[in-house]
Amino acid sequence: MITPGTMLLAEEGTFTVEGPLRSIPLPFLNDIFGEENACIAESVVSQWVVMIILAVVFFVLGRNLKLKPESKRQILAEWIVGFFSGYVETSMGTRYKKSYAPYIGALFCFCILSCLMGLLGLRNPTADVSVTGSWALITFTLVLYTKIKTGGFKGYMKSFIEPMPFMLPFNIIGDFANPISQAMRLFGNNLSGIVIGGLIYYALGSFAIAVPAVLSLYFDLFSAVIQSYIFVTLTMSYVIMADADA
Amino acid sequence: MGGFTLLAGDTLQLVNINPSTIIFTLINTLIILLLYKFFLHKPVMKILEERKQKIGDEMKAAEDAQAEAEALKAEYSAKLKESQEEAAQIVSAAVKRAGERENQIIAEAQQEAAKMKQKAEESIELEKKKAINEIKDQISDIVIMASEKVCEKEISKSDNEALINKFIAEVGNE
Repeated sequence: MITPGTMLLAEEGTFTVEGPLRSIPLPFLNDIFGEENACIAESVVSQWVVMIILAVVFFVLGRNLKLKPESKRQILAEWIVGFFSGYVETSMGTRYKKSYAPYIGALFCFCILSCLMGLLGLRNPTADVSVTGSWALITFTLVLYTKIKTGGFKGYMKSFIEPMPFMLPFNIIGDFANPISQAMRLFGNNLSGIVIGGLIYYALGSFAIAVPAVLSLYFDLFSAVIQSYIFVTLTMSYVIMADADA
Repeated sequence: MGGFTLLAGDTLQLVNINPSTIIFTLINTLIILLLYKFFLHKPVMKILEERKQKIGDEMKAAEDAQAEAEALKAEYSAKLKESQEEAAQIVSAAVKRAGERENQIIAEAQQEAAKMKQKAEESIELEKKKAINEIKDQISDIVIMASEKVCEKEISKSDNEALINKFIAEVGNE
């Protein structure tokens, strides 16, 4: 079956990469979002799985902490929180440490597990541009908030004609280009992983032993860590660049 | 369409901006943020803060104890020095006093000796005077006696000599 979203490769009909499933249709939203988009997509269902896993992990790691650490669990918990706190502090400075460390930690955990959902046979939420776009939207909002908070609304407006008034269109584009490129980078990397994985399985046919596992180690695990890291790093650097005081 | 379906084919476009996915993702992200913040971040931060506090307190207590110990040490060494000084003072005072006493005793002894010497000299003088007076008395007696003898008989030279010798012998016997 060939839908507009279906990607065609090799000979027609033999290899396809499809968009996320419309797992749970929500007919009552048909009038607002249109019939196709009025649904809970597969990438949202995957997110729920991620959320359940993370809820359990966070809960187990964070409970029963002792002043004198006795368990490896606590050492791991302290390492995770300390890592994100330290990372935010080095990237954004001490002022932002308290407010941004939880978001960056949560986003990184969410992002990395989302990239790894393919290992469970689910669709990676990050292979859906709506998901990565949502996170980029959050970044965009944070950047906007930071700009107005630190420079004032007047300063924010003025920043569009700096350093020269003719830079106005480029500055406007720049404001939108950053989050869009951020969303597209994560989305593209994950989708390309899925496409390449599918191609390898398709090409190897019934000889698909060992090779896909090794490649999946790169395309899933390595790329997941790297891309999540890049995503949170970009989030932080966009926000800190927006800070007029910095 | 409708109901729960996981059928392949009923898919969204591959590159598709889906408002419902965006809304759900934003909600999910918020939930993850809250889960991370309240299950992991805050408890760990709290324990780290407590530990920091405790270590700070303990270090401060240790520093206080050390400062106290040093103060005590200084106090003790000051006291030790003081008592050493005092001891030295006592000794020197004792030495001084002993010296004074020694001088006093010597002076007293000398005085005594001088007094005794004087007394002795006085008594010697007295004895001497007494002796001289006695001798004078005796001499006068002898002279009286001698003149009696002379008056008694005519004296020759040999008699004279015999008289003198007799006289001397009498004097010697006296």
